[in-house]
Amino acid sequence: MDKDIEIKLEKVHKSYFLANEEEIPVLNGIDLEIKKGEFVALMGESGSGKTTLLNIIGCLHPLSKGKYFLTGEDIGKVRDDFTLAFIRNKKMGFIFQQFNLYSRLTALKNVALPALYAGVDKEIREKKATELLKSVGMGERLRHKPTELSGGQQQRVAVCRALVNDPEIILADEPTGALDSKSGMALMKIFKDFKQQGRTVVMVTHTAEVAKFADRIVYMRDGIVTDHNYKLTSNY
Amino acid sequence: MTKENMTLEIIKMSFESLLAKKSRTFLSMLGVIIGVSTVIAVFAIGQGAQNTVNEQFQGLSANSILIMGNMGRGNIGSSKFALSDAKVILEEADHISQATGIIQGEATVVYASESDSLSVMGVEGAYFDISSLEIFQGRLINNEDVSGNERVVVLGSGVVETLFGEETDVIGKEIKVASKQMEVVGVLKETGRQLGMSSVDETIYAPQTTAEKSIIGGRAMKMINTTVDNVDNVELATEEITSILREQHKLKNSQEDDFRIMDAGSMVGAAQESAQLMSILLTLIAAITLLVSGIGIMNVMFVTVAERTKEIGIAKAIGGKRADILQQFLFESVILSMIGGIIGIIIGQIAIPIISNLNLMALASSITGPVIGFSFSVVVGVIFGFYPAFKASRLDPVDALRSE
Repeated sequence: MDKDIEIKLEKVHKSYFLANEEEIPVLNGIDLEIKKGEFVALMGESGSGKTTLLNIIGCLHPLSKGKYFLTGEDIGKVRDDFTLAFIRNKKMGFIFQQFNLYSRLTALKNVALPALYAGVDKEIREKKATELLKSVGMGERLRHKPTELSGGQQQRVAVCRALVNDPEIILADEPTGALDSKSGMALMKIFKDFKQQGRTVVMVTHTAEVAKFADRIVYMRDGIVTDHNYKLTSNY
Repeated sequence: MTKENMTLEIIKMSFESLLAKKSRTFLSMLGVIIGVSTVIAVFAIGQGAQNTVNEQFQGLSANSILIMGNMGRGNIGSSKFALSDAKVILEEADHISQATGIIQGEATVVYASESDSLSVMGVEGAYFDISSLEIFQGRLINNEDVSGNERVVVLGSGVVETLFGEETDVIGKEIKVASKQMEVVGVLKETGRQLGMSSVDETIYAPQTTAEKSIIGGRAMKMINTTVDNVDNVELATEEITSILREQHKLKNSQEDDFRIMDAGSMVGAAQESAQLMSILLTLIAAITLLVSGIGIMNVMFVTVAERTKEIGIAKAIGGKRADILQQFLFESVILSMIGGIIGIIIGQIAIPIISNLNLMALASSITGPVIGFSFSVVVGVIFGFYPAFKASRLDPVDALRSE
């Protein structure tokens, strides 16, 4: 297999089951390759399966059928919590639309949390968290709780949290969805930096303005990829 | 980072989330506080009852046997039991080394302006030796006093204080017992012992004959106190006494004994048994209280898990293992119940001396109460915290993240 391929999905299916055992298919055979260091935007209508696909890549969901290779390793059949937690902790960094910070913890503690789960000493992890927060202009807000921060600031805290264990892959689900356009654009500049750092980025968005920051747009409809290199129309 | 350090951090986080909901935390602790206080009380009452039993029977040596007329089962008055049986038993039984008749009752005792109703025992000379009572001042009652029907009394140490107050030289003083003039010939050493319901020190001792004829008369409770030559022969001696008395009382085979025989060992055993029964009952109550408090904790933990579902989802997304999440919620419930336990122990230990001073019941603090109380509180936290914590750790991360 191509060494440059970070994420490779082969005929991935995913279904949900309702209480009455009715099967709801969400993904209907996804084939997808994402290269190391590539910035990919996932677009598509609501219900096309973008978020489900992102969750599968992020090992939050088991897939129903198909194969999932992460840096060449078949992890589609792994169900062991310890391994999956390790992958989510060390290999991936999640960024959510609603930031999903711990409201009781300060910005610094929020950023340091994945490092705590990784077993990093307090001194080291808080030093790393401080550096990261300073790098996104949050050096003055280390001891603030999320409720004391603006949306843009909260998302920057969330970005730092995603980076604290230095993951290869950043997974973002509508990261600008809850931000004003100025904060959204500022966030995209940070995302561009990820590319410089050699990280692979997979971002779900339905905003073309945001998607255009990506190297490539993958378009989905009804649980399949309809276009692996979707071109935005010129009026954006 | 070492495993201990990480555990420490998780414990810290558990503390923080408990502190974030102070009133809920306190209310769910309350059950454990009450439960553990109850456990402490149970052990204090149990220990107190045990101590009372031990005090009551301290005066009885293990090789003494008490014989009384049988007043049960409709043959009241038909008992041929008499104090003179003592002589027969002493003569005929091989394993009885001493036997002495006692009559016991109550009488009004007067000295100058002081008067009190006291326990009176009519005894023979041998009684003091059998009961290991020693003289403090003057002399004991002897067999001449008994045969001469002498109007003399020996006082328990407490009686002196009751009747004479500050006066200490009481030998030769005249007091009135049941309106009869009696001379005080001796005072016993203080014992602090209890015999049945009355204190040995608060008793007046008179010659058996005098007591029977002049002081208590027909209302008296009669018994014979005997000493077995060897503790191992108590059972044998009991059988001997039974057959001697049945013969003496001319009972037919079909008739039941018209007397009761009690040895010190089985009396102590019976009293201890009832004290233990009370302990078991109270332990059961404490166990139920703790069970209820445990269910309370479980309920609160379920609410907490439900409230923090999103947090659990985040924890999983950023790499928290099931074990980490289980640990955090389990620590919360254990901390909750443990602190409740400690408060319960403190309340219990403060309450014991206060209740003791009120003289409502005998209480004695024991180390067992706090130890068991504390262990129980931890066990309650683990058992009832486990299921909610387990459920939390098993939540699907995507579902958990989606919840609001």
